[in-house]
Amino acid sequence: MDPECSRLLPALCAVLADPGQPVADDTCLEKLLDWFTAVTEAGSSLLLLQENPCLVELLFHVLKSQDLSSRILSFSLRLAGIFAAQENCFQYLQQGELLPMLFGEVGPLGGAAWTAPAVRSGWIQGLRTLAQHPSALRFLAACGAVDTIFSLQGDPSLFVASAAGQLLVHILDLAMRGPAEGHRSPQACDWPACAQKIVGHIEDSLCSTAVPQVTQALSVLTTAFGHCHGLWTQGLWVRLSPLVARLLEKDPVPASHSLVDLLLSVARSAPSSYRGLWETLAQTLSHLSPTQAGPLALGILKLQDCPQALRTQAFGILLQPLACVLEAAAQAPGPPGLLEGAAGNSMTVDTLLSSKSACVGLLCCALAHLGLLQPLPQRPSPWPQAPLLGAAVTILRLCSGSAAPTSDVGSRLCAILVGCGRVQRAALDFLGALSQGTGPQELVTQVFSVLLEYLVSPESSSMSWMPVGHFQRLLPRKNEVRCSLSPCIPSPSYTPGRGRGQAGQLTPGPAAPLFPLQVLKKAFQATLRWLLSSPKTPGCCDLDPHTQLFLRELLPVLQKRLCSPCWEVRDSGLEFLTQMTRHWGGQAGFRQALLASEVPELTKQLLRDPESYVRASAVTATGQLSSWGLCATPAGHECPGAQQESLLVELLHILSTDSEGFPRRAVMQVFTEWLRDGHADVAEDAEQFVAGALQAASRDLDWEVRAQGLELALVFLEQLLGQRGSHCPYAVALPETAPPGVLAQALQVLCRVQLFEFAFRALFDCDRPVAQKSCDLLLFLRAKAAPCGSPQEAGDSPNVASVEATLQRWQAGEQGQPLGYLEPGAVVALLRSVDLEGLRDTLAESSDHVEKSPQSLLQDMLAAVGVLGENEADCY
Amino acid sequence: MPEIRVTPLGAGQDVGRSCILVSIAGKNVMLDCGMHMGFSDDRRFPDFSYITRSGRLTDFLDCVIISHFHLDHCGALPYFSEMVGYDGPIYMTQPTQAICPILLEDYRKIAVDKKGEANFFTSQMIKDCMKKVVAVHLHQTVQVDDELEIKAYYAGHVLGAAMFQIKVGSESVVYTGDYNMTPDRHLGAAWIDKCRPNLLITESTYATTIRDSKRCRERDFLKKVHETVERGGKVLIPVFALGRAQELCILLETFWERMDLKAPIYFSTGLTEKANHYYKLFIPWTNQKIRKTFVQRNMFEFKHVKAFDRAFADSPGPMVVFATPGMLHAGQSLQIFRKWAGNEKNMVIMPGYCVQGTVGHKILSGQRKLEMEGRQVLEVKMQVEYMSFSAHADAKGIMQLVGQAEPENVLLVHGEAKKMEFLKQKIEQEFRVSCYMPANGETVTLPTSPSIPVGISLGLLKRELAQGLLPDSKKPRLLHGTLIMKDSNFRLVSSEQALKELGLAEHQLRFTCRVHLHDTRKEQETAVRVYSHLKSVLKDHCVQHLPDGSVTVESILIQAAAHSEDPGTKVLLVSWTYQDEELGSYLTSLLKKGLPQAS
Repeated sequence: MDPECSRLLPALCAVLADPGQPVADDTCLEKLLDWFTAVTEAGSSLLLLQENPCLVELLFHVLKSQDLSSRILSFSLRLAGIFAAQENCFQYLQQGELLPMLFGEVGPLGGAAWTAPAVRSGWIQGLRTLAQHPSALRFLAACGAVDTIFSLQGDPSLFVASAAGQLLVHILDLAMRGPAEGHRSPQACDWPACAQKIVGHIEDSLCSTAVPQVTQALSVLTTAFGHCHGLWTQGLWVRLSPLVARLLEKDPVPASHSLVDLLLSVARSAPSSYRGLWETLAQTLSHLSPTQAGPLALGILKLQDCPQALRTQAFGILLQPLACVLEAAAQAPGPPGLLEGAAGNSMTVDTLLSSKSACVGLLCCALAHLGLLQPLPQRPSPWPQAPLLGAAVTILRLCSGSAAPTSDVGSRLCAILVGCGRVQRAALDFLGALSQGTGPQELVTQVFSVLLEYLVSPESSSMSWMPVGHFQRLLPRKNEVRCSLSPCIPSPSYTPGRGRGQAGQLTPGPAAPLFPLQVLKKAFQATLRWLLSSPKTPGCCDLDPHTQLFLRELLPVLQKRLCSPCWEVRDSGLEFLTQMTRHWGGQAGFRQALLASEVPELTKQLLRDPESYVRASAVTATGQLSSWGLCATPAGHECPGAQQESLLVELLHILSTDSEGFPRRAVMQVFTEWLRDGHADVAEDAEQFVAGALQAASRDLDWEVRAQGLELALVFLEQLLGQRGSHCPYAVALPETAPPGVLAQALQVLCRVQLFEFAFRALFDCDRPVAQKSCDLLLFLRAKAAPCGSPQEAGDSPNVASVEATLQRWQAGEQGQPLGYLEPGAVVALLRSVDLEGLRDTLAESSDHVEKSPQSLLQDMLAAVGVLGENEADCY
Repeated sequence: MPEIRVTPLGAGQDVGRSCILVSIAGKNVMLDCGMHMGFSDDRRFPDFSYITRSGRLTDFLDCVIISHFHLDHCGALPYFSEMVGYDGPIYMTQPTQAICPILLEDYRKIAVDKKGEANFFTSQMIKDCMKKVVAVHLHQTVQVDDELEIKAYYAGHVLGAAMFQIKVGSESVVYTGDYNMTPDRHLGAAWIDKCRPNLLITESTYATTIRDSKRCRERDFLKKVHETVERGGKVLIPVFALGRAQELCILLETFWERMDLKAPIYFSTGLTEKANHYYKLFIPWTNQKIRKTFVQRNMFEFKHVKAFDRAFADSPGPMVVFATPGMLHAGQSLQIFRKWAGNEKNMVIMPGYCVQGTVGHKILSGQRKLEMEGRQVLEVKMQVEYMSFSAHADAKGIMQLVGQAEPENVLLVHGEAKKMEFLKQKIEQEFRVSCYMPANGETVTLPTSPSIPVGISLGLLKRELAQGLLPDSKKPRLLHGTLIMKDSNFRLVSSEQALKELGLAEHQLRFTCRVHLHDTRKEQETAVRVYSHLKSVLKDHCVQHLPDGSVTVESILIQAAAHSEDPGTKVLLVSWTYQDEELGSYLTSLLKKGLPQAS
């Protein structure tokens, strides 16, 4: 321990033990415990206590004091636990009988303080930390702690109850680990008494008729199988699995959620070691309701090695709801469904139709689970891509009201789902996930068609402004749907999302929001995923005709979205455009379609959007369009240089004048990208471009703009002097200096663009990331400049001396005076004279590391005594 | 039995990291999603694993409601929605929606700036999170889904702060967030109608305090700033980008105008424009005075407050600078502090609380020799002042709100246990309601008795009124009618209306009884004897002898017939409706006793 801390400790302990001096900031005690944990991990706790007797005195004092706050009591219990984690220190504390007094019946356990959850929590955490060695185990048994932990499992505080369960597992594991671990029989009968007691308690709880007790037992077991990997867990399973299986005989199955967690925890650890596990899993799948079984089914399918029959059963459960939807929505017996012969599972149909919330819950879970499964290598094979696509499309159409199911079940489903934002979002996510697979062209066309439907009009607003295209023609006509759904939908003015109550019993209720923005955002995301994964025509680098056709219909929709009154929509539209352009900017079909639309022009107009988020996205999108030569031109031609220049001017204007950080940061990012990619117009006069950008960035109040300026400077440097060295630690580090001729020329350029003024100013920036970046940049430059001139020649010049003086003033925080023009020689000299390595080390620390140090913490706690009082809760 | 369950994950017997889970009639709502400024690890956010344990987050939670833009109420939101994975709706008022991302961005920048934290939420995440927000208007009922509805009320505390009523069926909970019951210079007082919720969850920051007027503190502030500037000193006011900064700017602006002061006032964040833009935009949320003067002059268009340039800090002469961050823990404010700390003419005013681990905390606790980087020691000679401008309801205000809302139960959050204990007793004594104060992680369960609202038809009410009885809410009355259950609605209507609505014909139910009389006379004569007998006995009733020979008493009909087997016996057929059942039974027993002998 730091001597200064050691010096402050007695005073601090005195403050902590004084009930009249409440600790003002509750985070201080937590931080103090963090510090003691670190100190004891690094050295001997016994020594610590011997050198600082005030600590043990504090613990004794806490026991004697009647009116201490629960916070201090809790702190003391945890502190004692930290010290007693080392066996010799444990013995030391035991000599003074301190531990039984803290953790035994005579301690807070039996007193009024026990009513405070913080004290119970401190007691558990103290024991959890302490229980690291056999002596601790004997202590726990002797002081009857295990019984208390049993009772704390049902504590009214979630935190305490959960910690109690975890502590039981920890004790069980500790008891079973011991010296005899290797020889420990999996047979539970010869386990240590402590373990026997815990297992006996779990058995009793599993047989209990009270669901909370069953839940507690199951969660303890879940933690045990998840965290303990000794052989003994097999014995535990042998002993307890019949009781677990017996839970399945009850109707309804109690604590089903916890049961699923347990079974998955066992299955994930080492399934082959646990006899009868697969049978139990199969049995559980068939006993649980479709909603309860979903997570288990997903868990089973994620397992690496699992019997095929069980996988098939699990997959069936996930597919069941979608199969029902497909069957219900089918207008005529069509192609084979998702699940041959099982589509009409009555339990699933019942759940789907029982209530709106059950239906929505089941469908959302099924869609989410299948979406998670889709990208996994262990997903079931063959993967029914086509029926799943069909199901996703059907659900989306049921939600939008454009499906026309003729069956009774279909109509009721339609009535439940129409306008349901939650299902729409889940289905769009799922549809997006399915873009990773292929599908028959007809279905892909349907996917595009339904996506377009959502992009055009999630609010079912007018579509009349747009000519009806190929994909929109594929949509069922709205009035047809209304006719076929007439038994369910009360009036033509029915608005999706207004339905309430049971299936088929729609009544006009108060307006439920459609939550269209989120749905629209998901539609954009799904569309992007489909577009980016759409196949390229063999032998040609261009888009396939269907995608081409889709794009032509999509762009007017995007155009409309860019004019939306909601900033969220405009922004999502711009983000979508940026991604699309980044991927396809070079493809003729895309270019043609884009230039024929008004999208580039609108994007440019959005540079002046009132919302800064949108302006920033517009900057990024315009930058991307411009990189591909796709910026706005009224005549539909690709832009000539003059237009481009005006964009550069416009972006520079935004950089210097925009009142918000986001657009300015976006401009710097675009500029960096342009410079890196050798954008034609930047390349024309890179020097002037860099000088202008750096000048604007250096004045910026937003440190992220300045940091981005350094990024741009670094790209420029690399272009002049070659790449930075490999960061691979195993690479052979060869000197990577630039040839003297190149270097001299480069330094001239860097001086002209005033990069050094910018970098040195940034080096002493009050915002640490800027200074760090600048330090890295200058170190790189110094490494490159190594052979240039000898330090003496440049260092002696009067210019250097004055610059050094200015830099010192800058370092002291006075950055008013400019550096002035620097000669390359002076720069090299400066690079050598400034202690860049030292600065780098300083900057690597958090800017508040001094205030966060233990010494500072102790000083603060002592200084705050009696001062902060009334300010205490005056938080914000 | 239906119940309401409340579990604070944060703000249970503490201040900071507000996050309260409410379960009401099967719907789960998270109230606020705050962070704790005092921690820089996982402990700064509420422990969401207790929710994820219940399955997929978005499936479990029906919505998140944010009461106002302070970070201890919304700071964990991007983490929760973009990193933990909540994908459902988030509700807040429009000003909160506008200002929240600015503060989150400020917080992110400080966290990244200070520590270089890489695993922190990004600007993109803040934006994506804000896209999940649904803005609500005051007093507008918003349907989250078919069953769950929410409604916002004005809370005062800061611009856009709201209290929320959450309602499922007839059960409701009101969450106050932070509120202020007294108007201040730019905001009005909190207000809620008599909504009589099952539970009122209220903040209790000043549970035991009666606060002096904020005007005194404002006067004190202006005096101190003025004195410092007059003697040529510089004043540093560390602030967070939004909120208190604007409040103090108004104060100084008006004061400068009145006193015709020339010393410059600077705002260093570069966010002035946007912040002021929002304050201009949300004028309807400010108090009456600002709204009135808005016609002549917008209070938020500052003439004296100008944007700061880093070079200004070295300029000679007096000035006032607002700089971020508010606790002097990094960036601009700390840099200026370092420059000015050595001069006793200068002053730093801390307008808010500072957590441990910041320079702000150190100077507020009286430390004057601060260790800086590289073992340097900074001697603080400048004056240090702390001024609390926080706008919370004091004990009186909290009691006032409880009185206004008339809840069945009260639950205290956002305060200290000891102070809560005092207020709890006071509430229980004064209002005779149960008051709870769960610690974080503790669940309070309240059983609720389901009340089923029944609509009464106008016709039925009019009929009641026609009887001259005016409705009186304090005197419950018995009302007869037919209860119709249709489309999950209950209505009480007159039986005629019920028949009409249901398309049913009316049926009459009659009870009949046979009474055997020994009488050898003819049936007609027996009937006449019955008539005479009843006429004499039932003097108050209308007894009639009808032409067809039958006798009626009110709705009771009596017919005499011959016995099929015994000519000496007559059978009296007595029938009556259920309304006259009492009379019918009486008559039957009377007739069974026989007729008086003819004289």
